Amino acid sequence: MAQFQELQQAIIDGKAPVSKELTEKMLKEGIRPGEFFPKAIIPAMDEVGRRMRECEFFIPEVLIAARAARASSDILRPLLVGEDAMSSAGTVVCGTVKGDLHDIGKNIVAMMLESAGFKIIDLGVDVTPEKIVEAVRANHANIVALSALLTTTMVNMKSVVEALAAAGLRDKVKIMVGGAPVTDAWAHSIGADGYGKDAPAAVELARQLATA
Amino acid sequence: MMSSRERVRLALEHQEPDCVPLDLGATTVTGMHVDTVYRLRQALDLDAPGTPVKVIEPFQMLGEIKPDLLNALAIDTALVSGTGTAFGFPLEGWKEWQTFGGTPALVPAGFNTQPEPNGDLLLYPQGDRSAPASGRMPQGGFYFDVIVRQEPFKEEDLRVEDNLEEFSVLSDQETEHYRRRAEELYTQTDKALVLNLGALSLGNISRIPGPGLKCPRGIRDVEEWYISLGTRRDHIHKIFERQTEINLVNLEKIHAAVGNRATVAYLSGTDFGAQNGPFVSPLTYRNLFLPFHKQVNEWVHRNTTWKTFIHSCGSVWALVEDFIAAGFDILNPVQCSAAHMNPFDLKKKFGNRVTFWGGGVDTQSTLPFGSPQEVCEEVRERIRAFGPGGGFVFNAVHNVQALVPVENVLAMYRTAREYGTYPLRLESAA
Repeated sequence: MAQFQELQQAIIDGKAPVSKELTEKMLKEGIRPGEFFPKAIIPAMDEVGRRMRECEFFIPEVLIAARAARASSDILRPLLVGEDAMSSAGTVVCGTVKGDLHDIGKNIVAMMLESAGFKIIDLGVDVTPEKIVEAVRANHANIVALSALLTTTMVNMKSVVEALAAAGLRDKVKIMVGGAPVTDAWAHSIGADGYGKDAPAAVELARQLATA
Repeated sequence: MMSSRERVRLALEHQEPDCVPLDLGATTVTGMHVDTVYRLRQALDLDAPGTPVKVIEPFQMLGEIKPDLLNALAIDTALVSGTGTAFGFPLEGWKEWQTFGGTPALVPAGFNTQPEPNGDLLLYPQGDRSAPASGRMPQGGFYFDVIVRQEPFKEEDLRVEDNLEEFSVLSDQETEHYRRRAEELYTQTDKALVLNLGALSLGNISRIPGPGLKCPRGIRDVEEWYISLGTRRDHIHKIFERQTEINLVNLEKIHAAVGNRATVAYLSGTDFGAQNGPFVSPLTYRNLFLPFHKQVNEWVHRNTTWKTFIHSCGSVWALVEDFIAAGFDILNPVQCSAAHMNPFDLKKKFGNRVTFWGGGVDTQSTLPFGSPQEVCEEVRERIRAFGPGGGFVFNAVHNVQALVPVENVLAMYRTAREYGTYPLRLESAA
């Protein structure tokens, strides 16, 4: 449908006001809130991810597009109830680990996951293992996504893996990790389930882990 | 034996000196965390136990690299920097302090902290505890992160000067400081002097929040700043234009004071690279940054003998050609672990046009977590990659962090000097 395509384009081009207006207009015309994600927002952000992977989009363009996606999804989320309730792709508890205050990368991953249909519980920065365990329990999360920028804090990812195991939740959640010093080998060594080298890779990984 | 200054000069002219020059601490991006400086000084028997180390850069908590340490490691460079800090208080009036790691340190008088209930430490702009805090060190942490204090703004109220408040023409007192420091180091040591002018950087994301300002105005949120590079291009262009005008006045003043005693000028510390690719597109760099970088580099090359130094972490392969076109002579920190940053490829493609300053050993994995033997092997590989024909000054990739084993640091510099003797032994070149 042309309108969904128009909305997709507005998101990719990062036109937040257009994205907001179009969403409002389409809702007024009777389009059901549940249709926007599969028909416009998710495909738009998939395209943004593709462009990022292929070095057509960089941090500013991704942030601008994510903001445009949010301009639409902020209107839609409160309406996604009853028959419009979206079947969520999964619930992700995310955060930057204890001792680390860096959140740009984590925020981009969270925004992309949200636009891909995941429910995001973002615990922010400097998050203790206990807080993560609590949030997983309270929200019945099936994925934990951890970020670290520093060599001095990436070790705290391991504490989270251990805390989830100690709480008896390890087999209920998949754990994915990312951040500048983090590697695939590191993810394996601490017993995480996967490593996302960038935001599009994190979305792909979360999709795989959610269905595994 | 060749003097350190001559060694660095030859390397920067893409000739082979007697050995690869070594740097430690000549810039705030090639230094060392205060905890590690302390342990290193102790290991080398340079101080009695408990002797504090000065924190000369409170944002990254870098320790002072004094001449005795430079000599103990056979370092060829020395830092010439101003009296200011990112948090707006000067490097003066030293007082005792202890890091979370237990290191006895000396910090400037304006380094006033306040603990939070969770144990985090807050730091204040210009040392003023009555102002909103601008830095936070998490409990048990090693550095301060800048606190974003973005006041809500309306598009029509944005003023170029709001993002320029922290940039001003240097006082005569400050240029006199540069003059004295340079003269002292030039006459009393044979080190190559590096002018630390990273504060001139355009759009340095660690400074955008205005950590030295009590009440920062304009665009101060990091994400909003990145967004602005796309959506408020004219506005950013005007900020850079005005900042460059101020920078040129300051360069002229510093040159009048220091003259050609300095070998290198560190001019840009803005990070353009993330782990997998540039933060911004090459087109954005070309349109928004390059014209101003070019203007400053041209001034330096026209008026001084200084070589110009750009620091950018991450994967910048796609931007190196543009850095060279902008007139930079030196690229740092050469983060070989990032995507497309293979040391041999970098040398082959750009090696005769830019000097690699750094890249000596990985600071995200090998140096903190490897064995001395692994450090040694990586250093040898990097010398084989970057060393031939000069154009290489040895340093780790970025500052040596806290918790790095001292034996790894010692292995790094020992190997660099032993193995970095020209003619290089390239038999096991990859």
